[in-house]
Amino acid sequence: MHWLNWVVVGVYLVYVVVDGIRKSKGTDSLAGFFVANRSLSWWVVGLSVMATQLSAITMIGTPGQGATDGIRFVQFYFGLPIAMVILGVTLVPFLHGSGVYTAYEYLERRFDAKTRSLTAFLFLLSRGMAAGTIIAAPGVVLSAIFGIPLSWAVALIGVPTVIYTMVGGVQAVAWADVKQMFLIVFALLAIVVVLIVKMPVNPDDALRIAGATGRLETFDFSFDLTETYTFWSGIIGGTFLMLSYFGTDQSQVQRYLTSRSIDEARSSLLMSAYWKIPLQALVLLVGIGIFVYYQFVRPPLLYNPAHEQAVVDTRGAEYSALQERYEEMFSLRSDAALATANAEADTESAAGMETFLEREADIQGIRAEALTMAEEVTGESSRDVNYIIPRFALSELPIGLAGLFIAGVIAAAMSSISSELNSLATTSIIDFYRRWARPEGTDEHYLLVSKGATAFWGLFACIVATYAATLGSLIEVVNRFGSFFYGSILGVFLLAMIPWAKGRGAFYGLIAGMSFVGFVNFRMPEIAFLWHNVIGAVTVVVVGLVLSGFGPRNAPSASDTA
Amino acid sequence: MSETPPPSKSEARAKFRRTLVQVLVVQAVALAVLAFLQIRYGS
Repeated sequence: MHWLNWVVVGVYLVYVVVDGIRKSKGTDSLAGFFVANRSLSWWVVGLSVMATQLSAITMIGTPGQGATDGIRFVQFYFGLPIAMVILGVTLVPFLHGSGVYTAYEYLERRFDAKTRSLTAFLFLLSRGMAAGTIIAAPGVVLSAIFGIPLSWAVALIGVPTVIYTMVGGVQAVAWADVKQMFLIVFALLAIVVVLIVKMPVNPDDALRIAGATGRLETFDFSFDLTETYTFWSGIIGGTFLMLSYFGTDQSQVQRYLTSRSIDEARSSLLMSAYWKIPLQALVLLVGIGIFVYYQFVRPPLLYNPAHEQAVVDTRGAEYSALQERYEEMFSLRSDAALATANAEADTESAAGMETFLEREADIQGIRAEALTMAEEVTGESSRDVNYIIPRFALSELPIGLAGLFIAGVIAAAMSSISSELNSLATTSIIDFYRRWARPEGTDEHYLLVSKGATAFWGLFACIVATYAATLGSLIEVVNRFGSFFYGSILGVFLLAMIPWAKGRGAFYGLIAGMSFVGFVNFRMPEIAFLWHNVIGAVTVVVVGLVLSGFGPRNAPSASDTA
Repeated sequence: MSETPPPSKSEARAKFRRTLVQVLVVQAVALAVLAFLQIRYGS
């Protein structure tokens, strides 16, 4: 990468740390450190909510998904606006109004200590691992692209994030999120502009080429439980997932607990509802644009430069032969793509499209051979979807803008990790340390251990990141982690809003929900993971209500009360 | 960037309702654009 691009990345990293430390004013108490004294405006919280959800996985994995699979992934987010509206009138007033630091604290007030501790433990388990994968996604890509060890790439992202999160608490995190969100959107728009300027065909022709390969098929109305992304899995499964993520996951709940009022908390969530689908569609369209651009400008046969080098080093002759076939087939496909775009009559168009699709299948066949070769040589997964957009940015964006894109990827990672670290520290201290180990400590003491907990979780996430590198599609990995627990935890919060539900029903309902999701996951793997959220939530509510109907009414015991 | 004073409760509620309507309109437009792309260019 050109030195000027490195300067841009360096300036960003220094700025984010210095600004984070500046924003630590007023965080010298537990309420300041964990909920910013409930003083933030709706738009700050709203952007923080969005930046937390928009991770580096979205920046690099989603355009890659658009390039290879098209726009249908956007269906995953169809439930988000619905979930935000439901949360605005249900859980948000409960949680914000109760003055808690964590969502799980509320569960003890409503049920008992063991339900609180179990849900808090599940959060620490799933989000602790997820924080690792969130660093790993950009870490692996930056390491391969710049030829630096993975641990350096992980440190580049992790260390500045830990510093400003540890020093400035949630206030620094929220304000950093705001600036990072602007940087991310700017970097994406820069790619859109470059694509429009450099595209060899006009937008209408580009869309025709993308459409011919099925990449503009957004809606799949089939009610098929085995299909991951359909309209129904997005609307039903997605609503449950988003209800759980935004309503019960401390990394998101903590964002709106910093709002000045319940109404501002609601408005902050609606900001996500407003932008998420258009933004996600834009990110996928960027990937589709890159796919069309690469019909006319030859992309590398393998997008992962580290794998490409390994194959060249060990099976050079074989790879060269494959490369020759690829170059030959590429020019044939380019001609076919151009013919498809320029076709005027319907019959001419249909014939051109058929030839184009045949050439496209040939290219994919050659790519599959190269990927198999890379897998055999490296012993790693050779899936290179996450490398498409960084390779494009570094080769096609002007100097300076390419650095800004890399800074945007790092910003996207930081904005998610900082919220995760902040919320992991909050849950560790509020739901475990203060609840069970040292209930009578001073504010100063809790503040000190909270900073220690932030550093601990930062270190843990970096270690997980170095081992999560070989996991398959990172988008699905993170979502799968969540789906295993999310639905069941949502079920407990739904039970909390039903007046006759009891602690015993909530606790055993939660165990039943997770067990059933585990059973479905292992025994019926064909059921798409988005449905796990529905299955978990419904099981917890049904089992919880049945169990609440039996036995004596359980008033929380003295030992159970905080 | 400095913080502005918090709006009153009724102002905040009115703002919430306005935002809700805007959310619905933006989603409808986004879905209409996606549907147009699928109908016009879909294979």
